[in-house]
Amino acid sequence: MIRGRPSHIEDALCRMYGNQWFMWTDSKNKIYANLRLSPKVGVNEKIVDNPVTELPTETAVNAKLKEMQDAWDAANGG
Amino acid sequence: MALSKIDVANMLTGATPVANGGTALTSGFVNGVSGLGAEVDSWRISSDFTNAASPITTWERVDTSFDKIGTGLTHSSGIFTFPSTGKYFISGWLVGDLSGSSRYNQFVLQHTPDNSTYTTRAISDSLVIQVSSAEGSWNCALNYFVDIESTTNDKIRFLFSTANSSTRVFGNTNTSYSGFTCIKLGAT
Repeated sequence: MIRGRPSHIEDALCRMYGNQWFMWTDSKNKIYANLRLSPKVGVNEKIVDNPVTELPTETAVNAKLKEMQDAWDAANGG
Repeated sequence: MALSKIDVANMLTGATPVANGGTALTSGFVNGVSGLGAEVDSWRISSDFTNAASPITTWERVDTSFDKIGTGLTHSSGIFTFPSTGKYFISGWLVGDLSGSSRYNQFVLQHTPDNSTYTTRAISDSLVIQVSSAEGSWNCALNYFVDIESTTNDKIRFLFSTANSSTRVFGNTNTSYSGFTCIKLGAT
């Protein structure tokens, strides 16, 4: 299935770094205020400290989402 | 002399009906809490991620239109512990997308019998070949039967690896794009 135009900050977050580096305090309410760093991630079959040590700012996340939306629009005749 | 009661248990060769004081079970079947479906659980990946996750660590129990039957599995850092000994059926799946190509997108189930050394027991793999500038979708699915002889030592975990670091695995808190179900079939 295809998701279509990026529309949520999670679309941007998972393009900023790989692996499961972020998590939500409330997965039913995925807003920036509920965004947290995962303490651990799985790498090469081991649980290690998350190499991402600082959350991107809300501005940076929104800018990444906008960049992705612009790219999608350009590729889809928007 | 008329009989007021019949000793059904001594007159039947099969199962004795519950209404007549039996269990309604024949040899080879178990009753109630340890039998088929006494444990049914379903988990999913709650958020999208890209690249590999080995093991996959971000799971949540499915809570939309479902509630576990029985005690349910316990999760910690990608490792699942079973609530009781027995034979279980596990069915897992991943769905994702990619703008590009990937020689492999591999979904793996691993089991440890000693709470230490994990062995790969099931693998599903898919290939993505780019045919346009838009994302292409992919999926993996696997099934596995596992005999849990110890709730302390027998555990499972899931891994995802890909040849393209931009490969995205779908995760969602309302829809089980990626997840697994687990059903207890019977005693060990």
